[in-house]
Amino acid sequence: MKPRFQTQFLLFIALSAFAALNLTPVIWGFLTSIKQPVDAFAVPPKIVFTPTFEFHYQIWVEREFWRFLLNSVVISVGTVLISLPIATMSAFGLSRLQSSGSRGLLAGLMVMRMFPQILLAIPFFMLGRMLDLIDTYWAMIGALVALNQPFTIWLMRSFFIEIPEELYESASLDGCSIWQEFRLVALPIVKPGLWVAALFSLLFAYNEFLFALVLTGPHTKTLPVAIAEYGGEDVNYWSLAAAAAIGIMLPIVIFMMVLQRHLVRGLAFGAVKG
Amino acid sequence: MTGDIIAPDASLAGAYGIAPMTMVKEEITSPLRAARLLARAPPSLADSGERSKDWKYALFLGPSVVLICCVMIYPLGYALYSSLFNYDLGSGIHEFIGLDNYATLFTEARFWSALGRTCLIVTCAVTSEFFIGLFVAYGLYLLVRGGRALSLLMFLPHIVTPVVAALFLRWIFMGRWGLLSSLLISFNIFPPDWLGDPSWARFTVVVADIWQFTPFMILVLLAALNTVDECLLEAAKLDGAGHWTLLFRIMVPSVWPMIAFVLVIRVMDAFRSFDNIYVLTAGGPGTATETLTMYTYTTAFKLLKIGKASALGVLTLLFVGIVAAVVITVLSRMSRGRGKSVI
Repeated sequence: MKPRFQTQFLLFIALSAFAALNLTPVIWGFLTSIKQPVDAFAVPPKIVFTPTFEFHYQIWVEREFWRFLLNSVVISVGTVLISLPIATMSAFGLSRLQSSGSRGLLAGLMVMRMFPQILLAIPFFMLGRMLDLIDTYWAMIGALVALNQPFTIWLMRSFFIEIPEELYESASLDGCSIWQEFRLVALPIVKPGLWVAALFSLLFAYNEFLFALVLTGPHTKTLPVAIAEYGGEDVNYWSLAAAAAIGIMLPIVIFMMVLQRHLVRGLAFGAVKG
Repeated sequence: MTGDIIAPDASLAGAYGIAPMTMVKEEITSPLRAARLLARAPPSLADSGERSKDWKYALFLGPSVVLICCVMIYPLGYALYSSLFNYDLGSGIHEFIGLDNYATLFTEARFWSALGRTCLIVTCAVTSEFFIGLFVAYGLYLLVRGGRALSLLMFLPHIVTPVVAALFLRWIFMGRWGLLSSLLISFNIFPPDWLGDPSWARFTVVVADIWQFTPFMILVLLAALNTVDECLLEAAKLDGAGHWTLLFRIMVPSVWPMIAFVLVIRVMDAFRSFDNIYVLTAGGPGTATETLTMYTYTTAFKLLKIGKASALGVLTLLFVGIVAAVVITVLSRMSRGRGKSVI
């Protein structure tokens, strides 16, 4: 059923061209980050030049972008550590509940995922001000955990419902309590799923921008907010901002390599863009 | 084949001797139904013993429910409540004005044009994403070798931090020094001001959305195409069907529910997109690319009019709800018509 060699070859070329076009902005960003300003602003654009990594050093070390990286790591890891256990429990509960109520809850979660987030950003900001939580890690972690729940519950549930009923039946014949069913029967089976959910949640928290913009301040600023401030500046900062952008992207590339098998399942529930 | 990376992970389930997830293969006739199928509980014995266990399983939901109530439902209520006030953080005014915020917005030209603009941007972007995504996915489907690597490469723009992705694009579209402009200049073509001219800025914002979300379409559509029954295609080929017929008369109708589902998700997401526009144009020049979300953001965090911004947010929510309902209805009508046309 597959077409002949020549068609295959042309198809491959066309698709490669499309992929190349898709990657152009990223490659261009990388080139900008290793160019001296003279080369970066050359018209026509320069492809051949002497690369320099001084901007990478400058932005991450001298201009202390590592601080924002630290903030991002604290917030993302904190989010995953809180979000994943409770979402996994919910997912287990929902996968075992027979009533129509669980369906309603799942639909409700889907609605929450579709929510215009700006509507939540305003009260978060107001409540954060009232409780004096703005510019603390807790405000960000709390917000991200809640925003992350619908996705993580749906994703984990898709792993739980693959467990055959018979396993639970034999477990309960052996005298397992419900907690033991969860802990000893279900959890070991969905362990690979836990990793997938953890990584997707990590990525979500790492990428989140709107709430970080509203809830963080000088002490807890995350990488997306920091880079947005830099990139908006005038063109003199291009090379620096590009170096920062490439640095921010690196962990994500690694993430993509690790998760390639699971991308569809995660994405169908809209993991990446919150 | 590309199928092995793309298909919902069967190996994982297989390792435990469990049937892999069959969600997409079931006969789903509407997005709503698709959601319901996704949500379907495993078959049970449903005896009375099971029922009495239900509340124990419900306990597992406790932490999430508490958290969601505190961090989502309560703030939502707070937003609804604030939308009834003239609440200005700048001057410190805080007075009850009932539905006046809504009334003001309904008579405001800026609100209506933001709404229209949002619809325009979403429609253009999602339509292009769907068709580009479908053709590329079909290409990847036909490709025997190298599809796996290619689809991964194509996927990068979608997974990169949105702000960073928008910056990459900014460096392409920037006036004079951006890659696109300087390329055009070196061919002696005077480039338009991609981000500074109102209509070009709208175009650029749409392109940015397409760039970031087409990979998502490709991946999901490819996964969908891979579930189409090969026998069906063989039969059609024997009858002399070309690629066009194969794609639009057979493959698309048979995975239509999945397509409808992904379109609904994409429309919702495009509606609330923020990062892209914030970084690329911040709604400018003037209000040329100001979407509802951007307008709400400006009202709340630049003008500090919390009451009005909350009202805007509530209206956005209502509107998204209406759009979702309309899209779901239309798509399921279409799938009813198309479902029969399979061969």
